[in-house]
Amino acid sequence: MAEISFPLPDLGEGLIEATVLEWLVSPGEQVERNQPLVEVETTKSAVELPSPQAGKVVRIYGGPGDKINVGEPLIVFEVPDNTAGIVGTVPKEEAPKRRVRLSAVLDED
Amino acid sequence: MTGFRQAQSPDAQSPGTEAHGNHTATLSMQQALNRALDEVLAENPKAVILGEDCGRLGGVFRITDGLQSKHGENRVFDTPLAESGILGMSVGLAMAGFHPIPEVQFDGFAYPAINQIVCQIARMNYRSRGKLPMPITLRVPSFGGIRAPEHHGESLEALFAHVPGLKVVSPSNPHEAYHLLKYAATRPDPVIFMEPKSRYWQKGDVDFSTADAPGTGSPTGAKVMREGRHLTLVAWGAMVSRCLQVAELAAEDGIDVEVLDLRWLKPIDADALVTSVRKTRRAVVVHEAPLTSGLGAEVAQLITHGCFDTLKAPVERVTGFDVPYPSGDLEDEYIPNIDRILFGIQRVLEYRRG
Amino acid sequence: MDTLPLPDDGNAAPPPTPDQLRELYSLMAAVRHLDVSAVAWQRQGIIPGYAPELGQEAAQVGSGYAVDTARDFVFPTYREMGVARAMGVDMVAYMSTHKATWHGGLYDPVKSRLAPIQAVVAGSVLHAVGWAHGQTLEQNDGVALAYLGDGASSQGDVHEAMNFAAVMKAPVVFFVQNNGWAISVPTERQVAGGSVAARAAGYGIPGVQVDGNDVVAVLEATRRAIAHCRSGNGPVVVEAMTYRRGPHSTSDDPGRYRSLDEERSGAGEDPLRRLRRRLLDDGIADDAFFAAAQAAAAAEETSIREGIEALGPRPGSEMFGLVFQETTPALQNQAASWREESEHV
Repeated sequence: MAEISFPLPDLGEGLIEATVLEWLVSPGEQVERNQPLVEVETTKSAVELPSPQAGKVVRIYGGPGDKINVGEPLIVFEVPDNTAGIVGTVPKEEAPKRRVRLSAVLDED
Repeated sequence: MTGFRQAQSPDAQSPGTEAHGNHTATLSMQQALNRALDEVLAENPKAVILGEDCGRLGGVFRITDGLQSKHGENRVFDTPLAESGILGMSVGLAMAGFHPIPEVQFDGFAYPAINQIVCQIARMNYRSRGKLPMPITLRVPSFGGIRAPEHHGESLEALFAHVPGLKVVSPSNPHEAYHLLKYAATRPDPVIFMEPKSRYWQKGDVDFSTADAPGTGSPTGAKVMREGRHLTLVAWGAMVSRCLQVAELAAEDGIDVEVLDLRWLKPIDADALVTSVRKTRRAVVVHEAPLTSGLGAEVAQLITHGCFDTLKAPVERVTGFDVPYPSGDLEDEYIPNIDRILFGIQRVLEYRRG
Repeated sequence: MDTLPLPDDGNAAPPPTPDQLRELYSLMAAVRHLDVSAVAWQRQGIIPGYAPELGQEAAQVGSGYAVDTARDFVFPTYREMGVARAMGVDMVAYMSTHKATWHGGLYDPVKSRLAPIQAVVAGSVLHAVGWAHGQTLEQNDGVALAYLGDGASSQGDVHEAMNFAAVMKAPVVFFVQNNGWAISVPTERQVAGGSVAARAAGYGIPGVQVDGNDVVAVLEATRRAIAHCRSGNGPVVVEAMTYRRGPHSTSDDPGRYRSLDEERSGAGEDPLRRLRRRLLDDGIADDAFFAAAQAAAAAEETSIREGIEALGPRPGSEMFGLVFQETTPALQNQAASWREESEHV
């Protein structure tokens, strides 16, 4: 498993920080891209930030009332080391299993 | 909103672990192929990569990841969704002096392009009396084993090998993938490059300095992956690693199995087949493709012709069945498994002349 | 653009009744819930993969609802769950394709009037033309509905199909869901001129572009198109403009090729929310109705999930038994050797 960290994005118009109002996801939860992650308040408005990534939440930063600066860590996702192709799965590497035994009299003529 | 930016990129296509003075690295086959293509683009200004989603997305298996941003949209570009269009356009690019490296996303989607591959790519050099060569390297993620939908698990090597004017190659591990793709993508003839998609994620050591250390043979030949005295397993693509596992299991029973990675499926290295089987006197050929008119028949004939006097038993074939490639739930019933290969070996060992 | 004439009797198909509008909403809610759940099933390991149709509920339910399953025949792609549901197909049998049980799904295509799930992009558009011409030859009044996307419209087979159908006046509705994306390639890099419906003019057949997120607009356009075909006027192209809100498949990462902002501005208003608003505005549904529809959708998903979880692999013998109607000795031999070496391992 690899971890992917996303910092608080630039919310535009020169704002440099935001205040966490409420986390809508928690560590251990599987989230999908675009799913609302957190409600934050800037000096202009309160906004819900949608998830940029599908994955399992490992860590979130800041509780209600905490200020986070743009560019500082906001959330960390866990994603598999190997990404499957556009369809199908990554095959599991398994120890070889057998049921058949070989028997032979090898006449080395 | 300017939007999220990833703080650290996932490690999917990082360059891998380099060591030993940069001559070797531990890479997945995805990474090895990506690196080979990167070098081909850098070394040959006429090389271009085209296909569906190979640009911005980096390909449905990430084989062309990062190549568009590095080499530009003129060298690596997305096409509309039409395989026949991609291959037909490759013919024209080749006529204009380019070396197209088209990608068809999955084996089964080479079928819509068969007309251009068989009737045009394979024949233009001949038709033009050598004046219009077709240096086209068609990459096709191939074979089964990933529980994918229909047409995403097929083995087309016999179909391609049967067409005059095409060459066909399939790597079995990251080292082979790197070198065979670099070799194929610098040839003046069309090469169908069949990538064993179930092995894309498996890591292995790649020695960049030489194509063939520590094995034997030229970049155009077969390669002994394990030496043995009693029987030769002939395989290619994903079946090579399975045959290496079988060889280890056979050793537990006192049977010393040689594994020959055929690598080139056209032209087939008949000398390597004969050299190996003259020594072991027994052969089993393993492939995922259906049995009837599969490449195993060609291999068996070459062995029989070259080793008729020394063979202890008829060459056995352990293959997929004469059925459409099944859905994921039945995949393991279809692809030659360890026991079926062991059964094939046992049949050869038991054979007594009449 | 709308070159589709009104039906021969001069009257447009009647607008959907309040009952029908509520039924459309219930269908869309069921499809939405199943679609979102199927992504979760994949994350939980219940199925290996899925191709979501999030955002296309109106286009799929509206068009599928217009089909007369007593007469018509539908040719889907691999992303037509909402069409299947609107046609009343057994959804465990449909979703089995995503469990990797059987490629074409386990439903009966003849009884359900839905051709097997098609993995080849544009693979079945010509089949629709052939089926439709068969209706002409037999003097039946069935209409073929061929589903395709903006990506598929690049395939040569689509040109062949539209031209054949136009030449032979085959009763085919080419129902294009233009969802804006073919994996990572946006429509503007896929469809020259920007509209598949515009091509109809070149074949001398009607073409209509419809708001694919408005289920009523989709239903009415599809009904008109089917009526046009059924009256012997030849094929029609209907292009429903919609948006693939989700990934191409459960292992796709759209973050590699489009931003969340692009998704928000491209997707437009959610088709469910839009119908809900209309039903409320028209006073034909209330909160209790929506709560009931949601509860029914959840119960339906539970039952489908249980069916999918209970679905074991098909017997391996089917690999051999279903290749031909008349099997061959070689295949029987292979089946025998498979039974000996692999069965029940």
